[in-house]
Amino acid sequence: MRVGVEVGGTFTDLVAIGDDGRLLVTKVPSTPARPDEGALNAIDSAGIDLARVDDLVHGSTVATNAILERKGARVLMVVTEGTRDILFIQRHNRRQIYDLFYRKPEPVVRRRDVVEAPERIDATGAVVDALDVETTLTRIAERLDAEDDYGAVAICLLNAYVEPAHEQAVADAVRKRFQNLKVTVSSDVCREFREYERASTTALAAYVQPVIDAYLGRFGAELTRRGHTGRFSVMQSNGGRLPAAGMARSAITALFSGPAAGVVGATRQAVRSGFGNIITFDMGGTSTDVCLVQDGQPDLSAATEIDGLPVKTPVIDIATVGAGGGSLVWIDDGGLLRVGPESAGADPGPACYGRGGQRPTITDCHLVRGTIRAETFLGGSMQLDRAAAKAVIAPVADQLGLSPVEAADAAIRVAEANIVRAIQRISTERGHDPRDFALLPFGGAGPMLACRVAEDLGINTVLVPPAAGVLSAYGLLASDFVHFESRTHQVRLEDGNAAEIRGVIAEVGAAAAAHLRDLGLDGDVGLKLGLDMRYVGQAFEIPVDLGDRAPADLAPATIRDLFEAAHHRVFEFDKAGGSAIEIVAFRAGASVPPGVQPDLSGDAAVTEIADHTDFHEHGAQHTGAPCTTRPGQGVPVTGPALVEDGTSTILVADGWRGAVDAAHNLILRRDEEKQNA
Amino acid sequence: MPDTAFNNVSAVDQAIITQALIAAAHEMGMKLIRSAHSTIVREAEDCSSAILDAHGKVVAQSELIPLQLGSIAHTFGPCAKITPPADLKEGDFYITNDPYNGGQHLPDVFLFSPIFVEGRLIGFSATVAHHIDLGGGAPGLNPDATDVHQEGIIFPPSRWNLDRDWRNDGALQRLVRANIRMPDHTIGDFEAQFAANQIGIERVRDLCARHGAARVETAMTEMLDYAERRMRAALQAVPDGTYYGEDFLDDDGRGSGPLKIAAKVTVSGSDIAVDFAGSSDQVKVNINSPFASTVGAALSVIKSALTSADLPFNTGCARAVTISAPHGSILNPIYPAPVRARLLPTYRVFNAVMKALAQAVPERVIATGYDTTYACCLSHLGPRGYNIYLEIFGGGYGAGPDNDGCDAVDSPLSNCGNIPIEAQDMAYPFFRVRDYSLIAGSGGDGRHRGGLGFQRVYEIASDDVTFAAYGDRFEIAPEGLFGGSPGQKAAVWVQRGDTRIDLPSKISMPLEKGDLLFVQTGGGAGYGVETDRAEADRARDRIDGFV
Repeated sequence: MRVGVEVGGTFTDLVAIGDDGRLLVTKVPSTPARPDEGALNAIDSAGIDLARVDDLVHGSTVATNAILERKGARVLMVVTEGTRDILFIQRHNRRQIYDLFYRKPEPVVRRRDVVEAPERIDATGAVVDALDVETTLTRIAERLDAEDDYGAVAICLLNAYVEPAHEQAVADAVRKRFQNLKVTVSSDVCREFREYERASTTALAAYVQPVIDAYLGRFGAELTRRGHTGRFSVMQSNGGRLPAAGMARSAITALFSGPAAGVVGATRQAVRSGFGNIITFDMGGTSTDVCLVQDGQPDLSAATEIDGLPVKTPVIDIATVGAGGGSLVWIDDGGLLRVGPESAGADPGPACYGRGGQRPTITDCHLVRGTIRAETFLGGSMQLDRAAAKAVIAPVADQLGLSPVEAADAAIRVAEANIVRAIQRISTERGHDPRDFALLPFGGAGPMLACRVAEDLGINTVLVPPAAGVLSAYGLLASDFVHFESRTHQVRLEDGNAAEIRGVIAEVGAAAAAHLRDLGLDGDVGLKLGLDMRYVGQAFEIPVDLGDRAPADLAPATIRDLFEAAHHRVFEFDKAGGSAIEIVAFRAGASVPPGVQPDLSGDAAVTEIADHTDFHEHGAQHTGAPCTTRPGQGVPVTGPALVEDGTSTILVADGWRGAVDAAHNLILRRDEEKQNA
Repeated sequence: MPDTAFNNVSAVDQAIITQALIAAAHEMGMKLIRSAHSTIVREAEDCSSAILDAHGKVVAQSELIPLQLGSIAHTFGPCAKITPPADLKEGDFYITNDPYNGGQHLPDVFLFSPIFVEGRLIGFSATVAHHIDLGGGAPGLNPDATDVHQEGIIFPPSRWNLDRDWRNDGALQRLVRANIRMPDHTIGDFEAQFAANQIGIERVRDLCARHGAARVETAMTEMLDYAERRMRAALQAVPDGTYYGEDFLDDDGRGSGPLKIAAKVTVSGSDIAVDFAGSSDQVKVNINSPFASTVGAALSVIKSALTSADLPFNTGCARAVTISAPHGSILNPIYPAPVRARLLPTYRVFNAVMKALAQAVPERVIATGYDTTYACCLSHLGPRGYNIYLEIFGGGYGAGPDNDGCDAVDSPLSNCGNIPIEAQDMAYPFFRVRDYSLIAGSGGDGRHRGGLGFQRVYEIASDDVTFAAYGDRFEIAPEGLFGGSPGQKAAVWVQRGDTRIDLPSKISMPLEKGDLLFVQTGGGAGYGVETDRAEADRARDRIDGFV
């Protein structure tokens, strides 16, 4: 049996797939203080015998929350002499340019905890000033003597991305002398230039490492005590998992693993229906996450940030916009209709929840216009108050000179536009045409907006997976084992350098693969190679995907073509042919598949749509529109219609029709005469 | 309050088109930065972008450099006067950097590209970038200029065509290339500006394809009216009256003594007027502020202090604001006065207006900060041509009613990032940064303390290096508000062996290999009396060495 357990902020989801292929889905409340308890509750509640579980995959918000709540380890940071304030000065700019009361993002290291090492290496890797290890150790010891609650040491020295020798020497000395402290070194975490971003990543990695170690240690021991002898692995932000032991070296990759798992689950489910190019769109209570997937591979970004602090590590490239079911609808002092970014949150929540919410939300708007039905919300498990929803929308409607139903419809259209903007950021702005993709909505609120969001983007296919509410837990099981390696290595793209380029590509690939083998993973290692490249003189590199080409096939001319195409896609201009180009970084992602690929299925018996309902949508009132729970395979659904699917409602808009396919996905297509060219 | 029908554009369409135009301006700015070549644009992000309507009114802009953004429409006007927009065709562009024709200072070159949809002019996409070197009397920065011609090449407001005059080694490109010291970087930055303008054109065209050009045009007009309404709503909340504020520049660097900037601010209903009568006469050195810069600074402080953060700043906001400065004054100089360091007087505009507003809305203002641009330029002429380093430094922000001032951050009218030391090590082998740290105790005390200034120490690694810089607040410290203490002043010196050579705020001098150049920027002033400061705040500052 294989089990995925995903701990979210509110619920802990479990998906189990038996050896007979039977699917088991469980949802229990999370236990934020001790997330592993919620995970064990889910296992108990599903009646799973851990002794019979071969493969257990876990995702949690432990790393993310440790940072957001500032509950990580106390970190002693070692930096090059003269750069003590690197984490506090940051980049000297402001994110809100007109904010007179501006505050910088708060680092996780205190200023008194920064120690300077006498040393200097230059940009070529040459030693300018030799490292004074003794002085450095003395300074560290002074801090450790002064206060006794340090849990980790982070080391980030200038130009260590070129030459890590000084960092490693400090690390070795610290490990030898202070054996109880975890040591994190910048050149291990992120071998790329720009010292603030690298130092921030290193500090955050050191900050969460002891938390993750303790958490996984405790959880793993309890699993063992309960008889689990199978594989135990943990989800990462890059969409792959690692054996729990692998996390001991790179806890920072556990950030944001939940949204990443959702994208992996969505991707896997879409590929089963033959869709490799999709845009995922996960709309929850407060925000929407969108991600672009090409050829079955989610886009990766080389960096992200948390709480305003930069993190340079490969992550699934998810854009977030503050538009969810709980987003507030309001009119600003210039008379413009606005949705979000403020949210009613879980408490008080939308007015229709009857918990004291006094301001209209998107969920209230759905209820008012009829695209959520009070009697069937969340499978009828929760009562909604339509009169309350209508009452809070009335003032907005009055101000706009519309009826409450029209105002609700208008607000939802603004929310749709906000999501369209988020999708444009990851598609159009990166040189991808959204018309080449299918839209895959999930999360409670996504499938209600999907058809209209698709229309605005020129997308003609919407794919709604079954059990969309537990897609993240399913994604855990569907994920490969993945590890990324990168090297900053600057080299001009010239024929004379062909051998050097091939050599570094091969070396980085080999290092990534070796890491997985070291963790005891056998099986075929797949390699994805990439380069960060730029025209000589530019500072920002663009990622160039080499796919699975063998290093031997990578002649400079081939790489040049790939770079020029990628540059044109993003910037819509090229420099004159023959302009000097350089490679700045080499990247390799190694992956090992998890074995048998599980399938997500839905059990639906509906063969004929009998129910009807009324709703208002995009300016049109629909009376007696078809309404059903999820229909069985092949049963046609023609918009306007509502499909109530347990945790979410799918709005099949006017001009759309479709059916559930053999992979259990509901595939909706826009009527041909309405499709965009 | 207006009703839903924004002149035939529904409330929904208006919201959608507004967001899309703001997003387009933002994307232009990001792509300009990411494809630029010089460190001043690509790392420090000294550039801005905007979408204008067909009349040259800014409807949407990126949030990058406040001063560049405040007056783009003002800069556009003279271009349209030379060649009316009706005479433009596809591929044309306007260029200008002329301080005496709506521009700011020479390094800030504005490019406006018309956006045609089915042959009709819908608007313009615009970018401005600070170019590292545009010729003139010294590399990067000529603090000794006595007229504007010594500061570099002037592009008068003029119309050109991309294919005819620029691409494929066109005549304009060759003219520029021949007059500048780092042509590869600078031409690369111009290319990045053209590419960003093209992105703006594409995005507006897409929007017109989806919503119809007429609807987009109407929505643009409404965006101006919308911003004006919100600006006026904000002004209504300010008590009517006439308020006065003043601040001073140290001197002109040639012994002038303090130079006064005086602001009389009159709020009446939903209108605000700022008059700078009583400010110093223009000076012979480069610290004169072209009128466009004066306007940009005054609008920035009004926007920052009086409006909510999510008010999109565009030309509509400016309709409620009247700004005047006497011709021939330091805030509205007469040709050919040099203007390179115009940020220095414009910061005192910011301070003087803020002090006036402090009387009207004490809880919405901050104390005076370091509020100075320290422009720090090191250049080296080697066998392979010029290598020029330029960075813009801020210092500590003034404290606010509920917060300590921000430490070590660019000053309010600008928003340049720093250049990472590792990027400097790669690009500039003729010096090495040895220290980059906060200056403990440099923020003025008070109920809330001012932000800290910072220190940079450069070790000069080669002979034939020239240091050129301008700054202020070496003599006159930023003044505290409501009983707060002043912030610490700035200082710059060279350590040459055992000798310390103290330097003035405006300087150009050769440096020698082995010199250590110390640059210390100033702190911000405090807000409220120091006896009101919370003990916990004091303890934290003490333990972590901030004081």
